[in-house]
Amino acid sequence: MKLLSLKLFNFRPFYGEHQLTFAKGDARNITVIHGNNGSGKTAVLNAFTWALYEKFTAALASPENLVNRRALAEAKKKQPIECFVEVAFEHDSKQYRIKRSCRAYRQGESVEQTSSELFMQFVGDDGRWSTLPGSQQPEDVIGRILPTSLHKYFFFDGERIEQIVRSGNRSEIAEATQKLLGVKVIDNAIKHLTNARKTLEDELDGIGDAETKSLLAQKREAEKEATYLQDRQLEIDQELTNQATLRQEYSQKLLDLTEVQEQQQRRELLEGQVTELRDRMQEAKKVLKRAISNSGYTVFLPAIEEKFRAIVKDREDKGELPADIKQTFVQELLNRERCICGAELHEGSPNRKAVTAWLQKSGLADVEAATYRIEAQVNELARQREDFWQVVDREQANIGRYRQTLAKVEDDLEDIRDQLRQSPREDIRLLQQRLDETDDSIQSLTLEKGANEEKIGRYKLEAQQLRKQIKDRKLNQSRQKLAQQRIEAAQEAIDRLKQLKANQDERFRQELAEKIQELYGQISFKAYLPRLSERYELSLVESVGKRDTLVGASTGENQILSLAFIGGVIEKVRQWSAEGLVMGPDSSTFPVVMDSPFGSLDEIYRRQVAKLIPALADQLIVMATKTQWRGEVSEEMTERVGREYVLLYNSVKPDCEPDTIDINGKAYPLVRPSTSKFEYTEVIEVKR
Amino acid sequence: MPTPSKPTNVMAPLTTAPPQVQAIMVQVLKLEQERLDRSDRGLVNDAILKIVKEVVQ
Repeated sequence: MKLLSLKLFNFRPFYGEHQLTFAKGDARNITVIHGNNGSGKTAVLNAFTWALYEKFTAALASPENLVNRRALAEAKKKQPIECFVEVAFEHDSKQYRIKRSCRAYRQGESVEQTSSELFMQFVGDDGRWSTLPGSQQPEDVIGRILPTSLHKYFFFDGERIEQIVRSGNRSEIAEATQKLLGVKVIDNAIKHLTNARKTLEDELDGIGDAETKSLLAQKREAEKEATYLQDRQLEIDQELTNQATLRQEYSQKLLDLTEVQEQQQRRELLEGQVTELRDRMQEAKKVLKRAISNSGYTVFLPAIEEKFRAIVKDREDKGELPADIKQTFVQELLNRERCICGAELHEGSPNRKAVTAWLQKSGLADVEAATYRIEAQVNELARQREDFWQVVDREQANIGRYRQTLAKVEDDLEDIRDQLRQSPREDIRLLQQRLDETDDSIQSLTLEKGANEEKIGRYKLEAQQLRKQIKDRKLNQSRQKLAQQRIEAAQEAIDRLKQLKANQDERFRQELAEKIQELYGQISFKAYLPRLSERYELSLVESVGKRDTLVGASTGENQILSLAFIGGVIEKVRQWSAEGLVMGPDSSTFPVVMDSPFGSLDEIYRRQVAKLIPALADQLIVMATKTQWRGEVSEEMTERVGREYVLLYNSVKPDCEPDTIDINGKAYPLVRPSTSKFEYTEVIEVKR
Repeated sequence: MPTPSKPTNVMAPLTTAPPQVQAIMVQVLKLEQERLDRSDRGLVNDAILKIVKEVVQ
């Protein structure tokens, strides 16, 4: 979606009709709308969200009053006054124009407003503006291009942008990301195809024989159990995340208490050690497993090696090894009919008989070569066995050492817990009690998760085997056969979609996380790291030793994270769409419309954000006050500004102080006294 | 909408599917893509069942 223009008519402070056209070039993709506080910048942002989605941002006061007050006041009683917003945009080389309108009229002292209507036109293949066919709703067309649930990541208030990454909104942003990347489309496809397959199985159940029916019933049961457990796994994951957040909060509270700060710091250090020791232990076990898998078999070979060596010795004793004469050499002599000593080897002569006898013996040369080859291999196996035992000894010693250290660290940790449990202060005892409770929950949830994982695997295998049995049943009637084939095709489509999703997940999650990390790192100075969980949940962590701890980030850090997220998603979706990988909304071009950019960021951060965002977003529309557009922001963005507007606020205040803004050496009015008894805003285009 | 003519490793499960399975996958994905932001969720199961039945005759 590329925004082309915005027309406002009697919308909020905009009296009469005003139009803005937006920059959309590659080099100059920024449109700046300057305005003082209260001049209508937020109204412009909300003009977009209302027209496209019938939504408002939190910063818009009394969203139920959309019609301009002056227009209403000038109208006769009960005379309806129209207000509308028209947004023109381009998508997939096609132009669209949407218009949302509503009417209001005065009813005594109050104002009645009608519900809004949305109307859409597009430029058809004949180059003329056409209306949508009756079967299509404008909302659906917009939704396909940029879904309603995603709009807030592209039309937002810079001062509140950190909201999107707050922990309470984690699942919402995860859902939005999955939608944008098309993962949600595949998820839904899998879910609904599974339903369709079940219906097909019911149909087969209705027409199949008794055995088929019984197999189908068993398969359904196994699948039901697996689905139930999978749902439970999701709940467990959510609960584990919640418990980890709670744990982090309690730990932070203890850290904030001076009396126990030292113990808490020590505890965090020890917990870091526990994680590190467990990681090392796992690593050692991995090395052990690898050694067993690669050369564990060598420990079973000594008896065979002994046998081999005995055979060789026996041959040597018999003089068969080493073979001192080559078969080809003997054959050569026989062919020449002359020995090396000069004796004739004619057919039937005793000499020839004697040399021919050597032929038997010389056949052992091949045996000799093979024996030496095997001997080399046997020696190699013996060497491997030695290495194997060395690795086993070393890693077992390591594991033993880690276990001992771990036990000691765990004891120390338990001591600290005990001290805190017995603290004279009630708040400390309570915090420790809560920590104990979360630890218990985490432990039992983790155990349950592991057990469920195993059960799910079993049920899935069972269902798979039953599926094969159903598939292999010889069904006679053509209806039954057809039902069977449809079930099979649906099932294969499901399996392949699951694989496709796994492939996408692997690539998307890793690359998106790296991009967000890169962008965040370019802006922020903190050593925090954005993380994307398996379910695309975004969080900010700090690495302590080998352990990642969730960070209680400041508003500024969260704003940077939000912007890095939006920028990262825009860039990656653009790239993956070009590769044909994204099955999300029908869009790979995204506008960013920002009110009050850079929120509460300080100067250096503002500069970085100002530099990055225009490069990431395909198009940027910024509403800013003079202060927000100061120095570093304007320096970084000016080169990319293609269009500029000033919102001129006409104030009714008697002591109104006029204000101006200098753009390109020319002063533009920002505030001036109203010529009527109403306040209103005009849009003035900056000449470039 | 990615087409089967654009193979990549990620898309291999789609691009290497037997014709009938591929047809089901493509049509179902298209349907899901179109209804991603729609509120009418009722008829999707019937629509998908219809796709499978039409493809496998």
